[in-house]
Amino acid sequence: MFLYLPYNTFLHRLHPATKLIGLILLLVVTVAFTTPAEQLPGLGFVLGLAVLSRSLSNLRRILPLVVTIMLFSSTTWSLFRRVGVPFWSFGPLSLSRESIQYGLAMGIRLDAMLLSGMVFVSCTKVEEFAFGLRALGLPFPVSFALSLAFRLVPLFFTRIGIVVQAQQSRGLDLQTGHLLQRARKYVPLLVPIFIYAIRDTDLLAMALESKGFGMRGTRTEYLRFPFGWRDAAIIAALLAADVIAWSGR
Amino acid sequence: MREVITMWKYTRMVVLVALTAALYAAVLIPFKLLPLIPGITELRPANVLPVICSLMFGPAAAWGSAFGNLIGDLLGGTSGLGSYFGMLGNFWYGYFPYRAWRTLSSSDPIPWSAGRLARYFIVSLLASLACAVQISWGLDMLGFVPFHILGPLIGLNNFVTASLLGPLLLPILYPRIKRWGLLYTDVMETEDLWGGRLPYLAHLFLWGAVLGGLILGIVISLGVTESQTFTLNLPGGAHWSLSLSDIPRWGTSVGTSLMPLIGLLVVGALLL
Repeated sequence: MFLYLPYNTFLHRLHPATKLIGLILLLVVTVAFTTPAEQLPGLGFVLGLAVLSRSLSNLRRILPLVVTIMLFSSTTWSLFRRVGVPFWSFGPLSLSRESIQYGLAMGIRLDAMLLSGMVFVSCTKVEEFAFGLRALGLPFPVSFALSLAFRLVPLFFTRIGIVVQAQQSRGLDLQTGHLLQRARKYVPLLVPIFIYAIRDTDLLAMALESKGFGMRGTRTEYLRFPFGWRDAAIIAALLAADVIAWSGR
Repeated sequence: MREVITMWKYTRMVVLVALTAALYAAVLIPFKLLPLIPGITELRPANVLPVICSLMFGPAAAWGSAFGNLIGDLLGGTSGLGSYFGMLGNFWYGYFPYRAWRTLSSSDPIPWSAGRLARYFIVSLLASLACAVQISWGLDMLGFVPFHILGPLIGLNNFVTASLLGPLLLPILYPRIKRWGLLYTDVMETEDLWGGRLPYLAHLFLWGAVLGGLILGIVISLGVTESQTFTLNLPGGAHWSLSLSDIPRWGTSVGTSLMPLIGLLVVGALLL
């Protein structure tokens, strides 16, 4: 379910806030470029990070998606982007050397962003993600709700499985019919799944309040992540890359 | 819009944010296998959840939809800069239904009668289009997918799902949630709920922003603004013509041209 890979690499050890800021700064760099020649080094850099964080196994899992996205994005932008002198056109569609270059650049950009996100989730635990958000100033209840939601997703998958099995034992047939027919059979299951999910709200709220949730004052943290010179250096380097990339446009 | 901030002091609302987000993500993730635009959007039966949760849990559903979409992207392997626009779009998708319903009706949002069903469709359409315009504007600006492909697709995907499934699910779920005392109006104190400032003007702004945004976005994205001219024949042989290139825009791209309308959407949301 979760894509986190429990290694002890340089990227894993970074402060969670550095990972969050670094991810955004990296994504912002990719937006600055509009030609394949400019985008390829960025993609190469992200692949380098994947090797460094030993998250290539996760990248392999989404390889078909990465290829499909590349093809789709490149094709649509090549056909619809009106730049340069077209050598082929049909209605709103046209192709020029510049539009194909732009399409390729957009495909690479989208892939670079997708892979950056995958590297991030491969080396960041849910609790680190929440800690990073709090370190960046997000109020505790908001970061808590987000991390609680992350943790509840696998639980809900299990509950959905229980509901499906219970209905199947009563005769619900989810195996026959084409894709849409089978999808339609899942619709009535939304009611018990929803009720199952929501009925614990009061219990969960009481459990939280009994543990001091909502108390005012400074909170103490069980987890501690030191912010070192490496974190500062990485943020400074990425910030510089952003400035150079955007000022050179 | 005050209650989207004040709700965080209620533990039950915080829990409802997490539950809505987790449920949304849990139903979204399996359908990542049925993409409509690879890596961007897919068949989403889960899209009914933000609308029905909004009518029951109010602001908790707005945050829950935003977080649920982000979690779906992160766990489904489709995260990127576009996920933040997805988050914002889904926030609107969970925010507008309950706010718009309050200005259209004082009764419970159970679509039993034709009038209430019509109102349900109106609020669903508004939320669906707001989400579509917000996300498509952002993703076109980032260079992911052209606006004219993504905008109608998201709008249709959201509205069709919410219209087909919402009227079936709400009459079953709403009375039960009400009995459990989990409606946002029961959980939150009256003084923390926002009555809205100029809600009818807000409706005007919002519909102008979403319809104008969708049409203008498609027109610019298709590149027809440079060539199209509309001519109106007036009595006495006179005529008045308007070239689409005469329409004041901030720029030539979808990103800059739609900015005033996105601003109008935000102002409408603040006034609603």
